Amino acid sequence: MMNEQRREFIKKTALGVLVGLGAASGLVPAFSLEKTVLPVWDEKPVPGKIRWGMLIDTRKCKEGCQQCAAACHHAHNVPDFRNKKDEIKWLWQNPYQKVFPTASQQFVSKEIQDRSYLALCNHCAESPCTKACPTEATFKRWDGIVAMDYHRCIGCRFCMAACPYGSRSFNWQDPRTAIHDPVTTYPTREQGVVEKCNFCSDRLVKGQQPACTEACPEQALTFGDLNDPRSDIRLLLEANETMQRKPELGTKPSVFYII
Amino acid sequence: MEVMMMSKKLLWIFAVTAMMLFAVLNVFRKGEAETPPPLSVHKSVAIDSSKCIAPASFMRANHMQVLYEWRNSSVRTGNRVYIASNGSKYEKSLNTCLGCHSNNRLFCFNCHSYANVKPKCWNCHLSPMETP
Repeated sequence: MMNEQRREFIKKTALGVLVGLGAASGLVPAFSLEKTVLPVWDEKPVPGKIRWGMLIDTRKCKEGCQQCAAACHHAHNVPDFRNKKDEIKWLWQNPYQKVFPTASQQFVSKEIQDRSYLALCNHCAESPCTKACPTEATFKRWDGIVAMDYHRCIGCRFCMAACPYGSRSFNWQDPRTAIHDPVTTYPTREQGVVEKCNFCSDRLVKGQQPACTEACPEQALTFGDLNDPRSDIRLLLEANETMQRKPELGTKPSVFYII
Repeated sequence: MEVMMMSKKLLWIFAVTAMMLFAVLNVFRKGEAETPPPLSVHKSVAIDSSKCIAPASFMRANHMQVLYEWRNSSVRTGNRVYIASNGSKYEKSLNTCLGCHSNNRLFCFNCHSYANVKPKCWNCHLSPMETP
């Protein structure tokens, strides 16, 4: 008899909790995910009208400062496996010889050789990776960005072999296990796809600057439209002597450096 | 005697339920207060994500085609604005759907497990179960 009442009590309490939860979920419309933000382009974009580019003033770049890479990797849920073999990198630093192995200058100063230089996807105008991709998972966007459609990537890594700058990383493991501070505003990737810098196309569509450009405390990074002769980046390119990585390959990188 | 005991029990049940409801509501209210202010929105278009893009019966049968079209046109051609048949505009994003539908944590999973389909969306995107 006692047991029977106990059963009834538990049943009714459970029902009460269910009803309560249902009421609560109905009363709370607030949604803390990414807010729906209007794209800058209301209409379909015009191919070739814009060509996004970046200028890195390495003279301003402070040794040991990692703020740009940290902001980039955090904003895009880039995993950190703490292991060179599985490393995923969108924006990273390398010594002179690795970033500019074919630079034509001989006898550059020791100061220049000892500095480290930012490296990222060059978003080449003549991109070898997009030509190598068998599924068109990586492709040239209307605005010059070499984009990845992770939905289509089959993980063949032809693009990694084709890229002369080592800008692409392969997810050997499930990246979700190695994202230490995930953000809800950008998706993750999955095991078996290649990933790389997207020139912050997710931020551009909201009218924002790339995460690295915004994070740099020295304003060493300038982002802009290379097709617009009055843009900041074009004015700086005209006023300074700049160089690109491995220009002799004819890939026409959209990332420029002031040494 | 028996009746008296029953009504006392019922009273208890109501009291406990009311307390639980109060606790749950309090938790949610706290969450509401902490949401950040909305980002500045471009003025030329008004995007409304508070209504469904199409009737439920249509979406039940055709959401996979809609999502496939959204995915391709937004990622590849950059056309991120969806114009519904009644003229209202939506951003082509899973988050447009989850803005309301994540209220139900089992929104996608219930039907998919019944139909035994295993879409790969949640390998990368946030599912209704993971939404904050």
